[in-house]
Amino acid sequence: METKKVFKYFTIFEHEKEEDYLREMHRSGWKFVRVTGLGIYHFEACPPEDVIYRLDYNPEGLNHKEEYVQMFHDCGWEYIQEFFGYSYFKKAADETEGDEEIFCDNESKIQMLDRVRRNRLRPLCVLFGCTFLLVFVIGLCNNQFLAPAFLIPMISVYAIILIKFGLQYLKYR
Amino acid sequence: MNPHIKKVYTPMTETAFYILFCLKSPNHGYGIVQKVEKLTDGAIRLAPGTMYGSLSKMEKDGLIRFIREEEKRKIYQITDLGTEVLQIELRRIERLYQIVQEEMRNGNKESI
Repeated sequence: METKKVFKYFTIFEHEKEEDYLREMHRSGWKFVRVTGLGIYHFEACPPEDVIYRLDYNPEGLNHKEEYVQMFHDCGWEYIQEFFGYSYFKKAADETEGDEEIFCDNESKIQMLDRVRRNRLRPLCVLFGCTFLLVFVIGLCNNQFLAPAFLIPMISVYAIILIKFGLQYLKYR
Repeated sequence: MNPHIKKVYTPMTETAFYILFCLKSPNHGYGIVQKVEKLTDGAIRLAPGTMYGSLSKMEKDGLIRFIREEEKRKIYQITDLGTEVLQIELRRIERLYQIVQEEMRNGNKESI
């Protein structure tokens, strides 16, 4: 069977973009099999079909995986895999009306973003703080301020992540 | 009642209200989905991500409690605290409805 691998990077708050991407691939005859490494998407050739993909972020669910997956299964969602805390589900579009979601109100979408923020964004911010301090201390010891060369690109990356998070949040408010 | 519970659950979302209401008798997540669909003639279909999140949150906050597991499905039931929260919500919605009804009867239809 024909297969292909695609490297694709989605930042932590782009799960909706990722869902659309997987759906689009399936529509053009590439079924998503799994994602590995830092974002290598494995696909398998298949007849084009409209399949809805959804991502949930729920560490609590992963700790009780059997009953977590069972609940989605009962509601007609097939579990694919977990990747960096995200759980991947799919459902054929013709088994449902419209673009079925795994959340039925904005409140629970915001709660999912909060879980991502707590578990993913917070460690990133701690890392940022530590790096900042380190660069600052090294700069002081060498009696020269090296910081801008390190910090400007870093701050830009963090600013982008935070802005994306903010936009996602506003969308559900 | 703990101010945190009051702040988080009053007023509560329609989803949360139905979940809590259905747990007056023991049930599992998918059982609640089916029951709500039937009660609302298919108008409200609870989604699993929302359901799972709500159940674990309500259990943590003591509004419902885990009873037993059946075929990989956790069965929950409402607690006294949950019943109290549900009552507060019911009274709020009742008041809302009564005020609107009264206003309409008094002929203030244009203000609605």
